[in-house]
Formats: sequence, C-alpha cells, structure tokens
Amino acid sequence: MARNQPTDPPIDLYAAVQGEVSWFCCGSAWGPCSSTGHGACGTCNSGSMQHAWPNTSDACLSITRPDACGVSLSRRTCGFAHRTTALCSGASVVTTIADCGPQTDLFCGERSCCGATCASNRLIDLTPAAFSQIASLSAGLRPAEISVP
Amino acid sequence: MTTRRQVLRSAVLGGGATVLAATALGSLGPEAAFGAAAPAVTPGAPDPNFAEGRIRSIKDNTLFVLGSNMVFHRIRVVDGTSLWKLGPVAFDQAKPGDGLYARGVRMPDGVLAAESVWLNIVNIKGHVRTITSEKIHLDHNGQEILCHQVPGKSVAVYSDAPPSADLSLLRVGQHVQVLGAWRPDTNQVDIATVFSPH
Repeated sequence: MARNQPTDPPIDLYAAVQGEVSWFCCGSAWGPCSSTGHGACGTCNSGSMQHAWPNTSDACLSITRPDACGVSLSRRTCGFAHRTTALCSGASVVTTIADCGPQTDLFCGERSCCGATCASNRLIDLTPAAFSQIASLSAGLRPAEISVP
Repeated sequence: MTTRRQVLRSAVLGGGATVLAATALGSLGPEAAFGAAAPAVTPGAPDPNFAEGRIRSIKDNTLFVLGSNMVFHRIRVVDGTSLWKLGPVAFDQAKPGDGLYARGVRMPDGVLAAESVWLNIVNIKGHVRTITSEKIHLDHNGQEILCHQVPGKSVAVYSDAPPSADLSLLRVGQHVQVLGAWRPDTNQVDIATVFSPH
C-alpha cells in the first residue's frame, strides 16, 4: 500500500513569519534586570547576538501559548538561528535562541506599525545587542519578519 | 538613505574629528574607522561593537563604564552620538551611577566610539497591580516596579493606535510593557512608553 511520506522538513517549517519584535535583558545586568538569569538555555547575555523564541520546549510553549493567538510556531531549540528583519527599515540581524519567550498570549492581537506596514502578535524578543542593530532601543517594539537564514 | 553610521562618520571627519582622531582612533584615521560597514558578528556571540554597564566616571567626552560582567569599557561620545535618557538628551545628562547600553564602533585601542548611548533604559513587562493618575505599580516577575508618569514625556501606545498622553485606559490586572528610564539604585522607573495590547 502506498503511503504518503511526510515532507522532511514539513513544508511550512522554515517559512518566514511576520510578527512583533521587542527586546529583553538577560545575564548579568543592572537595574530591574539585575535579578534576571541566563535564560532557559543558560547562555543568554544582553550583549550577545541572541533571542528568545516561544516554542523551545513543551514547558516553554505551555507558558507562551502563541496558539492562543492563532499562531503556530514550530519547535526550535537552543542555538537555532533566526534572521529578524525590521519591516520599518529593512535592517536585519541573525541571532540564536538563548531563552524561552516572549509570552505571546498576554499580548494577543496587539499590532505595531510603521506607516502602512504592520505586524501582529509578539513572536520574538531580541537581546539589546541584537535589537539595537535593527532599531533604536527606545523604539521598544517593531513589526518584523522572522526567517531562517 | 543616510545611516547613523554615516552621520557619525561625517561628524568625525568634520568638527568631531579633532576630538576623536587624536584619541580614540590611535594611529588610524577616521576614514579607516568608519569607512566600512560593521563586520557581521557570529550569531550567539558577544557583539564587540556593543557595551552595557554602569558609568563609574566621566572625563572629557569619555564614559568609563563597568560592565555587569565586570568587563571595563571606555565609551567615547562624539558630535554625531545620540544620547537617550527618557528622550534625547545632551551629554551633560550622563551621570556616574547611570546604567547604559551603547552601540558604536570598537577602535583598535579598545575604545567604543559611540553611535548611540541609551542611559538607564529599561523595557520590562508585567501586570498592572495598581494605577493612579501619577503612578503604575507593576508586578515584574514577582518584583514590584514603581513606574512614574512624567508629564510631557510619558505616552501609552494602545496596540496600533498613535501614541497618547492619556494613560487612563490602562487597567489593573492587564499585562503591559513599560519602556522607560530607571532611577538608579531604586525599583522605580520613569515612563517613556507603555505598550498595551488593547
């Protein structure tokens, strides 16, 4: 009997997605960040080219719940690389997963725009070092495209 | 499009050159320092063109900063450097004790020629515990942060609506992101922007 073979990888696994990008601190830090650790992967540092991803494990996904916002994100684990491209400027940065986050479900439906270009739902958080390569830290939140480099 | 890097380069080649070329650039001229795009940093690795820490002292146009990881940084502010402290500010607003993030170009002698310096900037998420016309008590991972509304500075962004000075639509129990300026050595923050999902 002929069987359908699953696509390897699944056809949508590495498709680019659009969503909101923000920044967070991790590792040794000052101020309100001083109690922050090195993240779920144990490697996160604000000065490194890293990011948080909402689906790094079952435990992570049970907290971030992007599915509650109608977003399906595949499982990607510590060290996996993503390219984040700011839709406002076109600037991009490649970073690796170092933590679980953001908590997508707490901001369901939120939309950020630059002009007529918008994206909804929080899908990725960059470290300050990474975010500041594509936007000013004072911007706080930006629409972005996330892809696999 | 003119980039910040190009603006900074112009500043170095112009009036700022006397400041920077004689010190931070060492034997290199400003053309060599800013002529090329910043080299790509290995994903996952520390970015040599970025620094974080707290200002220990300030001399002339240089910030002496101790990183939270105990790495020491010398950060040079030049004519084209943008500084932020709850908004754009002049260099004299940088004070010892301030926390900072800085991005720029690392010079051969180790000095970071700064493109941007963000003083005391924080970007924290949490639940609104209580709210008054002047303050928001935020529960940030179990840590209480007292966020102050600053007239003429603080705005709220309700999803994709334009920024509004009216923060009264925020509600107790909701989750928000507060971008602001930390008051050093306290659990208090002056609000620049509150991001609300609705």
